[in-house]
Amino acid sequence: MYLVFYKTNDVFIAEEILQSNNVSVEIVPTPVQDKAYCGVCIEITSSDNKKAELVLNSMDYTVVE
Amino acid sequence: MIYFDNAATSRPKPEEVYDAFNYYVREVGTSPGRGSYSLAIQASRMLYQSRKTVARFFGTSDPSCVVFTKNSTEAINLYFNGFLKQGDHVLISPYEHNAVLRPLHSLKLQGLIDYSVLPEKAVYEDPELLRSFIKPNTKLLAITLASNLTGQIVFSQALSREAHELGLTVFVDSSQGAGKGLIDMNQDGIDVLAFTGHKDLFALPGVGGLVSLTPLNIAPLIQGGTGIHGDSYINPAAYPDSYESGTLNMPAIWSLKASLDYINLHNSEMAKTEEALISHLLSQMCKLKNVIMYNVDRTRVPTFCFNIRGMSSSDVVHILDLNGICVRGGIHCAIKAHETIGTVQTGAVRVSLNHFNTIDETDAFLKVIREIS
Repeated sequence: MYLVFYKTNDVFIAEEILQSNNVSVEIVPTPVQDKAYCGVCIEITSSDNKKAELVLNSMDYTVVE
Repeated sequence: MIYFDNAATSRPKPEEVYDAFNYYVREVGTSPGRGSYSLAIQASRMLYQSRKTVARFFGTSDPSCVVFTKNSTEAINLYFNGFLKQGDHVLISPYEHNAVLRPLHSLKLQGLIDYSVLPEKAVYEDPELLRSFIKPNTKLLAITLASNLTGQIVFSQALSREAHELGLTVFVDSSQGAGKGLIDMNQDGIDVLAFTGHKDLFALPGVGGLVSLTPLNIAPLIQGGTGIHGDSYINPAAYPDSYESGTLNMPAIWSLKASLDYINLHNSEMAKTEEALISHLLSQMCKLKNVIMYNVDRTRVPTFCFNIRGMSSSDVVHILDLNGICVRGGIHCAIKAHETIGTVQTGAVRVSLNHFNTIDETDAFLKVIREIS
């Protein structure tokens, strides 16, 4: 699953937060042609979704399955 | 060659800075936000890491509140043009560099704003005097951290405290003194700060920026490609990206990260060395009867200016140059500061050191000055 952010800066803030909470992440091209979001996003496994939601609770992003 | 013109640009740079530049251009060499392949992602990650380092260095916590520009002049113009509105009034110190004075004066000539220059007494002795310069439309106190002409520190916590009590936003131009451990935005009540990388922050030329305690939400200075939301006909409301149209100077930005890491590691010994050098120079220069020194009693960064009676500053600069010593003379892009110390007609010779200088170099300089004064 993909965590899609509005700003590139937020992608890397989220990458750090997730990694520091032992969530495996990969920065990948945003897999949707939604023009409202930036060109890269974070891919995580579906099993980490709840944990990601918890640690990124103050950030503005969209989940794309 | 002896280099005493570090207020213009620092020379040399720490080895870590050359290494960072070399690494970036050879091993990365891509533009942040301009691709989704791994090497472009790495560039974006390094940009984020640089923002984070800058934010921490200046005492803020949010890397999104760090905007990169090509220098402090561009950062100051971005802020003034975006923040100030029709009818606003600004307070400045009598030591502002032209990078602050000219954008404000230009806005004044356009009939958009007005500004007042505070007297030295308000800056150094009685900040409560700010109250007598306040108008109903006063919005901003814009003040330099240290004078590029005399080296004296101008900003103080007392000033920012007073300005906040009066409901003003506090803006600091840290072009001189940013690398000297003098400020922490949070603790010192600095709402917005402009910096340049290539002076006492020791980065390569071509990077500066604007740092704010909270998101700026002002109009961008320029429009263009931001790497995101490319379908929009104007810059999107996505910050800091929206303020950084066009390709960023990422090799210089990465060199800035390295230079800030260097300063964080060595700041104590740097300060000690600089204090020893400037104290030695000032004490010896003050003994020379034909040398005119300016504001030597003020707390300062390792910079001062002087004149020799009966000689033009350009002649002094030329003689020092013939002896292998680099200093700057004339008018130092700070006409208000020259007016304040009374050197508009004569100009002044500026000497600016850093921790790479040595006592032997200061003695070589003093030997020449003793011979010609």
